[in-house]
Amino acid sequence: MARIVVDPITRIEGHLRIEAVVENGKISEAYSSGTMIRGFEKILKGRDPRDAWAFTERACGVCTTVHALASVRTVEDALKISVPKNAELIRNLMFCAQYCQDHVVHFYHLHALDWVDVVSALSADPKETSRIARSISKWPKTSPGYFSDIQQRVKTFVESGQLGIFANGYWGHSAYKLPAEINLLAVAHYLEALEWQKEIVKIHAIFGGKNPHPNYLVGGVPCSINLEEVNAINSERLNHVLKLIKDAMAFVEQVYIPDLMAIAGYYKDWAAVGGGLENYLSYGDLPTQGYNQPDSFKFPRGAILNRNLNEVHDVNGKDSEEIKEYIAHSWYKYAGGDKTGLHPWDGETEFNHTGPKPPYDFLDIDGKYSWIKTPRWRGNPMEVGPLARLLVGYASGSDEVKDVIHEAIHALQVPVTALFSTLGRTAARGLETRLVARWMKGFYDDLLANIKNGDTRTFNDERWEPDTWPKTAEGVGLTEAPRGALAHWIRIKDKVIDNYQLVVPSTWNASPKDHNGKRSAYEESLVGTPVANEDAPIEILRTVHSFDPCIACAVH
Amino acid sequence: MADTQAVSFYRVYVWQVPVRLYHWLNAICVLVLIVTGFLIGKPLAIIYSTEAYQQYWFGTVRFIHFVTAFIFFFNFLIRIYWGFVGNKYARWNNFIPFKKAHFEEIKEVLKVDILQSKAQGIISIGHNMLAGVTYFLSFLVFLFQVCTGFALYSSMSGSFLPKLFAWVIPAMGGDFAVRQWHHIFMWFFVVFTIIHVYLVFYHDYVEGRGTTSSMVGGWKFEREDVLK
Amino acid sequence: MVKKLPSIWEAMQTKGYSRRDFMRFCSMAAAVAGVKVSGMASVVHAFEKKPRPPVVWLHFQECTCCSESFIRSSHPIVSDVVFDYLSLDYTETLQAAAGHQAEKCLHDTMKNNAGKYILLVEGSVPMKDDGVYCTIGGRSAEDILKEAAKDAAAVIAWGSCASNGCIQAANPNPTNATPIHKIISKPVINVPGCPPIGDVMTAVITHVLVFGKIPDLDGQGRPKEFYGRRVHDTCYRRPYYDAGMFVEAWDDDKARKGYCLYKMGCRGPVTYNACSVTRWNEGTSYPIQSGHGCIGCSENGFWDNGPFYRHLASFPGFGIETTADTVGTVVGVAAAAGVTAHAVTTHIRKKKIVNDRIERSVTDREPKKEGGEE
Ligand code: HEM
Ligand code: HEM
Ligand code: NFV
Ligand code: SF4
Ligand code: SF4
Ligand code: F3S
Ligand SMILES: [Mg+2]
Repeated sequence: MARIVVDPITRIEGHLRIEAVVENGKISEAYSSGTMIRGFEKILKGRDPRDAWAFTERACGVCTTVHALASVRTVEDALKISVPKNAELIRNLMFCAQYCQDHVVHFYHLHALDWVDVVSALSADPKETSRIARSISKWPKTSPGYFSDIQQRVKTFVESGQLGIFANGYWGHSAYKLPAEINLLAVAHYLEALEWQKEIVKIHAIFGGKNPHPNYLVGGVPCSINLEEVNAINSERLNHVLKLIKDAMAFVEQVYIPDLMAIAGYYKDWAAVGGGLENYLSYGDLPTQGYNQPDSFKFPRGAILNRNLNEVHDVNGKDSEEIKEYIAHSWYKYAGGDKTGLHPWDGETEFNHTGPKPPYDFLDIDGKYSWIKTPRWRGNPMEVGPLARLLVGYASGSDEVKDVIHEAIHALQVPVTALFSTLGRTAARGLETRLVARWMKGFYDDLLANIKNGDTRTFNDERWEPDTWPKTAEGVGLTEAPRGALAHWIRIKDKVIDNYQLVVPSTWNASPKDHNGKRSAYEESLVGTPVANEDAPIEILRTVHSFDPCIACAVH
Repeated sequence: MADTQAVSFYRVYVWQVPVRLYHWLNAICVLVLIVTGFLIGKPLAIIYSTEAYQQYWFGTVRFIHFVTAFIFFFNFLIRIYWGFVGNKYARWNNFIPFKKAHFEEIKEVLKVDILQSKAQGIISIGHNMLAGVTYFLSFLVFLFQVCTGFALYSSMSGSFLPKLFAWVIPAMGGDFAVRQWHHIFMWFFVVFTIIHVYLVFYHDYVEGRGTTSSMVGGWKFEREDVLK
Repeated sequence: MVKKLPSIWEAMQTKGYSRRDFMRFCSMAAAVAGVKVSGMASVVHAFEKKPRPPVVWLHFQECTCCSESFIRSSHPIVSDVVFDYLSLDYTETLQAAAGHQAEKCLHDTMKNNAGKYILLVEGSVPMKDDGVYCTIGGRSAEDILKEAAKDAAAVIAWGSCASNGCIQAANPNPTNATPIHKIISKPVINVPGCPPIGDVMTAVITHVLVFGKIPDLDGQGRPKEFYGRRVHDTCYRRPYYDAGMFVEAWDDDKARKGYCLYKMGCRGPVTYNACSVTRWNEGTSYPIQSGHGCIGCSENGFWDNGPFYRHLASFPGFGIETTADTVGTVVGVAAAAGVTAHAVTTHIRKKKIVNDRIERSVTDREPKKEGGEE
């Protein structure tokens, strides 16, 4: 019975450590630990609520913008501000751009090397790669010469003896199943995706001034619209956005999705591994009639228990019985003791590191072992993320969601239940990117239509000045970050932040066990995962990466 | 009351020309720096044209601030020099208390002037010690404003004088902090001016020795016993 | 068939640099790295023989946004950097290896290229409580940083986190987050910003590798090339500043015309960065161009200079609405009130004071000779 440690888990955001017990070639118990903390919830106290978006946005630069969005919504909820239509549409566009960029980077640059053997690409026949590429997509860059140039570049690189980021990978591991030609295709698209991802975020730069970490504003968006002015969002800026959206749709449809399907076809065995929890939570997002009308969201809100897709439970961020955070195995203390759970409005963030001190070999798994708190919904551990979003959409009867799912499972010839797996999670991410890219075009059209109707407002100034605020106020801002359900809770007192709590997607998924010993998503999905070679536990990476971990987010 | 004429006062030449010139130039500079500085920190909403190239009021305000700042600085340098070569009322030992008697005097003046718990105390010919200390304090704040002001100016100027102060920026933790302090100390001058001008008039009112006009003509009237 | 990649020396030759230029570059690199003259040979050797200089990128307390920004670089694009310019031997964000295989990458580079590798650091280091706030592979960030810095040829601090502590160092700095230049004794090139512009990051690296010299640094260790000017100095809205034409409220008619954001709290006048010239995301925009003021993200301690939408910071201890001007006005009014009260009392007491004086003068009277003129 060996306890293997993978630390650092690489190709993620942040500092994640997995300790796993392997018995008879399978993981029998797993421990997920976030090993870095900065203390955002302490730092936010006493500050201007209107500044909170900038602070919380820095929780993470990979899912940049989503915390800013959650934060402005939180403050707007507390102060009862509704934002103008244009602001909502611009926020939606930034949201969609973030999904496209983040999911594509995850697939090609963070996750792909778990499935794609770069070294094997050296022995591919570029002509055959070209043939395959043309058979699955109408993407133009598919000539044999193109692929042989890529191959040559990799060859030169490898022969230099300096493998750089590819050094010490699990190359040649028996778990790699792709033919050399598809490996070469994936390597080519690794490079293309790297170049493309810097384009789509220009949408953030246009509306928010920069990426990473574009600017937001409580009450609207900071950019003004003025078609008669070069100094504002005008036709040129809007044209630029349109071009980026079109390119994104092409890239997702012609590169990401075909690659995803081609690769998934070789790893169908992973449709039976890594399912983990049976509960899924989505706060829903992409409002079309205002943030206070969840029925109008493109991604619906709801919870699924026990994989029962016939019932979607209501979710209410303000109900003190629904969402609570526990710290039985986390390095914090609560005034009410280690077994209590706190609704985030009453949340406490008091450090209580109980060891081991560095340097250490193993965590104290019976005691506290992570900086991540453990959130629960009505006492249940929940998986959040693309899979949860699609399942809630599916169960809520969204036709668009159903269509993309059916198309994919039909192409792969697997049942819907294949979604409850490591492969399903990875596929869900791609499928929702398809939806989001299309919706993005829809939001763009709506924005144009609205401007055409003469509405150019982007900001609601009714509650900007603190002297218009009540003495105390509390709010919650829900959103769907790329990695899942994200919410911030605020209590404002005397015009400053009295309490601010973040419960983040990776907090849900990566948290340690709760006070009842129940595992959260990472740990649960690792249990049962086979490990062929304890020295090269690529399987652990596959399942953990399928969640796209972000630990700076999770801990904050 | 009838015996007022019985006291004999002597004219004393207290404030030499450089001190008086310094004083009034300084007073004008400080007032201008306060007004322009305040406007720089909190500009009015003045828009009288459609395009930026047609108006320049804010640039002018800043320009006046900077020009005045240079005059203020050199004037201040002259006063520092005069503190070493001027008459006994102009010298630095009038400003820095170091003897026991100096502290006694400060206490005394506090009692007489401020608390008014005692009617009559020591009368100095030049500054009383409390005033001296206050002026010394204000000289330090002048120096502070000069350092912070020129440090801020160094980033917009290539000339050598402001560059001498560039080190202040990192030492104080960045431009924002320097500006913030520079702004805060503007208020020192606002408060100083209110109290200072009042006290000058006050002394004139109760002592009747021509305190106010002394900064114009240089002369004060002094009772002979105080003169020894 | 296999074309060997040019070494730095070869690359410089093709660009017309002489051997002397190359030696000068090496000595600059060595000087920055704090390498003694005796160590020079190895630095020269490193850049001459190694096709691509080995690079180690460490992550501590950070949000990985600096890595994200780095991959947004458009010239050069990042795949060229990673494949052709340097050998990125360790970076948790992108490397294939994980766990002890990843740690081996780090150790191999440190061992096999001692004195020759470039160390890039993203994130601050928590110095409180033995470093329990950031551990990697069971070791503290401080421990890892010190070991990696020991034999590094040059050290670059990415972003505000590594250069000045950034958000986690904001009051009350719960973990004692510390910038790296305060921890290691070597000179550090600070590239602040939250994050820095991607093209600035790749430019700093290529400045060293291609032009063969460490860029000139200012007093805070920042390359003057990108941090020598304030955002305000080259801001395209600057004419409105000088004209005194300011946005007074969000989305007002002045905002829609793109007037200066100074009164909305813009920190451009106190912020040194390349945003208004280089701009972000291949020149697409920068915060001010998109209507929001600069928040000063490349400045030391900028998080505590809030609230961001005010020109002045809030006065410590009085809540966010109180600025130096509020306090100043209160003190000024108090002084005026005090003076008025004092004047009233004085006037009431004047009679007594004057009588006292006269009395004393009369009793003390005794003629003396004239004097006092100097
Ligand atoms: C009694 C002396 C002075 C007072 C009361 C004063 C006051 C002020 C105030 C209130 C500000 C606005 C700060 C803000 O809110 O941002 C300011 C700005 C400034 N002051 Fe002064 N100041 C004084 C002396 C000086 C001196 C000696 C200099 C030297 C050059 C100077 C240079 C500046 C500069 C460069 C600025 C920034 C202007 C800009 O960036 O547009 N000041 N001053
Ligand atoms: C902005 C306004 C003013 C400032 C900053 C200012 C500053 C000063 C300073 C620094 C001194 C010490 C001079 C030295 O020893 O070199 C002084 C002394 C003096 N000032 Fe002013 N002054 C101001 C306005 C006035 C006004 C309006 C008056 C009278 C009408 C006045 C009358 C005097 C007198 C009489 C003294 C000598 C006081 C004593 O020591 O008894 N000042 N002032
Ligand atoms: N977990 C997480 Fe995030 C996301 N997506 C945040 O809300 O990654 Ni940094
Ligand atoms: S400096 Fe800013 S952007 Fe870079 S890692 Fe730190 S928080 Fe993120
Ligand atoms: S917008 Fe900001 S940086 Fe630009 S001119 Fe105005 S104050 Fe300066
Ligand atoms: S906020 Fe940062 S991005 Fe540039 S404009 Fe200001 S330095
Ligand atoms: Mg939290």
